[in-house]
Amino acid sequence: TGGHTTEILRLLSCLSESYSPRHYIFADSDKMSEAKIRSFEQKRAETFSNSQFTLDRIPRSREVRQSWTSSVVTTLYSLLYSLPLTYRLKPDLILCNGPGTCVPVCISALLLGLLGIKRALIVYVESICRVETLSLSGKILYYFSDYFIVQWPDLKEKYPKSVYLGRIV
Amino acid sequence: FRFKDSLAGGLRRADLVISHAGGGPSFCLETLEEGKPLIVVTNEKLMNNHQLELAKQLHRDGHVLYCNCRYGAATLQSMDLGGLKPYPPGQPEKWGGFLDKVVGFQ
Repeated sequence: TGGHTTEILRLLSCLSESYSPRHYIFADSDKMSEAKIRSFEQKRAETFSNSQFTLDRIPRSREVRQSWTSSVVTTLYSLLYSLPLTYRLKPDLILCNGPGTCVPVCISALLLGLLGIKRALIVYVESICRVETLSLSGKILYYFSDYFIVQWPDLKEKYPKSVYLGRIV
Repeated sequence: FRFKDSLAGGLRRADLVISHAGGGPSFCLETLEEGKPLIVVTNEKLMNNHQLELAKQLHRDGHVLYCNCRYGAATLQSMDLGGLKPYPPGQPEKWGGFLDKVVGFQ
C-alpha cells in the first residue's frame, strides 16, 4: 500500500543492479502502488540499461483493523495465490516492509524452503513510522525472517535480535 | 484535491505545511526533507496509537510542532517555527552495504 510502497522504493534506490530482476507483489485492492513502481523503474532504466522487473497482485490479506479470526481466513486465501506465485518466481531474496501482503508471501517462501524447493533469504525492514511498537506483520516476521531491521533505537532494545542501522529511508 | 500522484510540486512552493499525522507519515518525512516547517495535527479519536508514534518522536526531536485538532488555531497563533531543528537525512548507504554483505555481493 501507498506509504509502504514509497518506503520500499527508497530502499531499492540504494541497491545496485545486481538486485535484478525485481518482482513486485502487492495487493489487488492497491490502486496507487503500480504507478509509483512503474515511475521508479522507468527512472532506473535511464541509468541501468538491462533493468528488469515484473508486477503481480495477490488478494489483500488484511484490511486495517480487521479482526483476528477473519484475518487468518483472508490470509489463508491470499496464501492460495502467493504459494504458486512464489513457487513460480523462486526468489533468492525477499525484501518486505510491513503491509499484510508480505505475510503470505513470506509464509510461502518458508514452505518452499522447508520442502527443499527453494530457500529464500527473508529481509524485513520495519517502517520508519514504527518508533515504539512493531506492526502486526513485524511481530510475526520477527521470528521468521533472516534479518529484521528497525529504524529507531527503542525497537532495537525491545527486539534484541533485530538489526539497527539508524534511519535508512 | 483528491489524490495527487505526488505532492512534491505543491510542497516546494509552500512556506508552511500543516499535516494530519495518520495515514501519510511518509509525507511528514518528505516535508521535512524539503526543509519546510511542519505542524502535525492529530485527532486521537480517529487514530491508533501507532500512527502517533512518528509524530511524537519528531516532536521530541524538535523537528515538528504538534497539536491536537482542537487546539490548532491556538498553535498557529503562538507557534515558534524558528525553534524547529532541521531534519537530518536518513543514511541509506548503510543499508545498501548491509544488504550486499548479507546477500554475498561484497
